[in-house]
Amino acid sequence: MTAEPLLTGRGVVKSYGQIPALRGVSVDVAEGEIVAVTGPSGCGKSTLLHCLAGILTPDAGEVSYRGERIERRSEAERSLLRRSEFGVLFQFGQLVPELTIAENVALPLMLGGTGRRQAHTAALTWLDRLGVAHLADDLPGAVSGGEQQRTALARALVTEPRVLFADEPTGALDTLAGEQVLDHLLRVTQDQGTAVIIVTHDARVAAYAAREFALRDGEHDPSGVGIGSVRRGRRARGEVATEARAR
Amino acid sequence: MKPGALLRLALAGSRTDTLRVVLTAVSAALAMLAILAAATVVAIPELGSSPDDAAAWNVQYTVAYLREPGLRPGVTVALVLLVIPALVLAAQCGRLGAPARDRRLASIRLAGATPRQTMTLVAVETGVASALGALIALGTYLLGRRLLHNPGPDGRLVLPTDVLPPWWVLALLTASLPLLATGIAVVALRRVSVGPFGVVRRQRAESPRIWPGLLVMPGIAVIAVLEPISAYADNRDVALPAAVFLGLVATGALMTVIGVVFGTGWISHRAGQTLARYARRAPAMLAGRRLMADPWAGSRAFAVVLTCVAFGAAAAGVKAAFAANFAVEDEANRLTAEANGEEFVPRTDLDFYYNAFDLINVAVAVAALIAAGGLLVTIAEGIVSRRRTYAHLSASGVPRSVLRRATMWQALAPVVPASVVAAVAGAALPRALFGSSVTGGGYDSVPEVTLSVPIPFGDLAMLSGGAVVVVAAVVMVSLLFLRPSTHPSELRTG
Ligand SMILES: Nc1ncnc2c1ncn2[C@@H]1O[C@H](COP(=O)(O)OP(=O)(O)OP(=O)(O)O)[C@@H](O)[C@H]1O
Ligand SMILES: [Mg+2]
Repeated sequence: MTAEPLLTGRGVVKSYGQIPALRGVSVDVAEGEIVAVTGPSGCGKSTLLHCLAGILTPDAGEVSYRGERIERRSEAERSLLRRSEFGVLFQFGQLVPELTIAENVALPLMLGGTGRRQAHTAALTWLDRLGVAHLADDLPGAVSGGEQQRTALARALVTEPRVLFADEPTGALDTLAGEQVLDHLLRVTQDQGTAVIIVTHDARVAAYAAREFALRDGEHDPSGVGIGSVRRGRRARGEVATEARAR
Repeated sequence: MKPGALLRLALAGSRTDTLRVVLTAVSAALAMLAILAAATVVAIPELGSSPDDAAAWNVQYTVAYLREPGLRPGVTVALVLLVIPALVLAAQCGRLGAPARDRRLASIRLAGATPRQTMTLVAVETGVASALGALIALGTYLLGRRLLHNPGPDGRLVLPTDVLPPWWVLALLTASLPLLATGIAVVALRRVSVGPFGVVRRQRAESPRIWPGLLVMPGIAVIAVLEPISAYADNRDVALPAAVFLGLVATGALMTVIGVVFGTGWISHRAGQTLARYARRAPAMLAGRRLMADPWAGSRAFAVVLTCVAFGAAAAGVKAAFAANFAVEDEANRLTAEANGEEFVPRTDLDFYYNAFDLINVAVAVAALIAAGGLLVTIAEGIVSRRRTYAHLSASGVPRSVLRRATMWQALAPVVPASVVAAVAGAALPRALFGSSVTGGGYDSVPEVTLSVPIPFGDLAMLSGGAVVVVAAVVMVSLLFLRPSTHPSELRTG
């Protein structure tokens, strides 16, 4: 871990009406690091992710990116930050159904002011990297769930963000498709040196991560036995990745 | 699924569902009030001919439109015209929040809601809601005619509160209106398909053909041959029955309007293709792709607005033809007076005729307003049913302004050309009927005068410009739904 973390949360508190979702959570993410956020359903994983990504504003506490506070910035500034420095990946349903696969990936670049032709070329490069270039002209509804997620991953990474936020990105996929998406995710983010914060229920997914951050009832649970630790040991020996490819 | 279970499911809904039922009932009530007003005007008794061979006036009314038998049919037509947009509004309200209900049906999976069951549900719901609306309107009408019945000091009335249509007419209207609304709702629903995850597209919609739009041409042609036909009949001394003449006018006008509406599907698709191909920025690209994906959504929603434009344009054309006729007469009289060394007095009773056109313009404006209500429901529904995608886009940093602009592009790209087409087609009808010039005089010592009928460009520009402004205003209002639809709580998958 480098001296100054890329992204930090300090005592982040967030409630929905009377329901407390986060009760003061602190977390550091270093440049290029992969952190798995785990915990039982309803413990506040998604809420933490949204607070760190500047999608939600916490009720109390601080969120800093590159040493600068972001949680009190205007929606417009946070939106700009999200489309330039961050990438987000959800479980499903994030592609625009009417745009082609390539246009979906080109969209963030066009929003950043890149010309359409150039954005299209860059989109094709990314689709190729994720093995779905042959689907470039199809609509999202016409391709498989795994292919949709790979497209969504391409869209999240096409702007070359420094942090990728992924909320159960394989939650709606079968095992094989899920492994493929994760393989791609890890390979590409490691190539780019992108930090990854990935929310998951799944031990297999947690096993890919370098570090596990367990939550329980809206609080960090340092004693939380890492659900991915067993697998992580195996992955260190290169077993999980080969297993995924063998399938 | 048993009808009982279906009905319970239909009613066990959220606030949106309640709102949908209420709005459906309100628009059905609006339609019912318009048709009751029309029936009341029809019920005003004809007093027969007066000594000077003119139909006698119903002098108990203060307003000329009610007093003069010659003007009442125009009033009736204007009122009946209002029924159409109100009924379409009732049918469009049936879509409000419907995706949520469809999802509920799908998720409860009482054997899963098949499209047919969804259809039945919509039919039952619209039927019940509009029957309720019709009954409320009938009550309001019966109560209102008592409350509003206050003769002035001279015993005269502003409204025809002294006549009541026969009871069987009232019963027939109350029964048939919900049936009509249900029919329209079912037809409007045919092509919509919503999966458990919201709007899903597997393939591009088939691109609409241009030929249904070309129906405008034979529509105008039917009207254009009327003049030669009646001239031919005159020459042969056969009287062309008025019913045939009016039937042909109605057929031509209907074909033209249907052509405009279907043509809008084609225009939408074309506009979408052009945007999708040449757009350099994201909003136009999004709008273009959406128009291509469902070109009919737009034309369905805009149909009534465009019909209003076509109708207003036709009225403007008729007015221009009338004005030219009067001008020719005046000019012939002026020349005659000049030749005889007399003083020429121009006609002064023209305002009377022009007032009739004002009445039609008011009806068109009211119809357009009601249509705008339907459009609002459709556009807002389009935003709300995409809220998951919108929330995801917003979370990944797509500014709301981009989504706003995309919605605006999507509405205006087809409406701008379509409203021009509607205005041109509408104005072409009276031109086909009356020709582009009028000739008068030419008898006895009166010289023959020919004047060309001016194309009412000003009126046409007002109409199509007005349509564009109305649509833009509706989009702005519907964009109020964008903020809640991009809220992070929509990101929750549970
Ligand atoms: N918009 C909301 N309104 C009300 N309560 C909410 C909202 N979003 C989350 N909550 C509540 O806050 C708590 C934390 O929710 P969160 O979605 O962060 O949990 P999670 O760990 O991501 O759960 P899951 O694994 O099921 O996705 C839960 O109790 C949830 O019910
Ligand atoms: Mg979650």
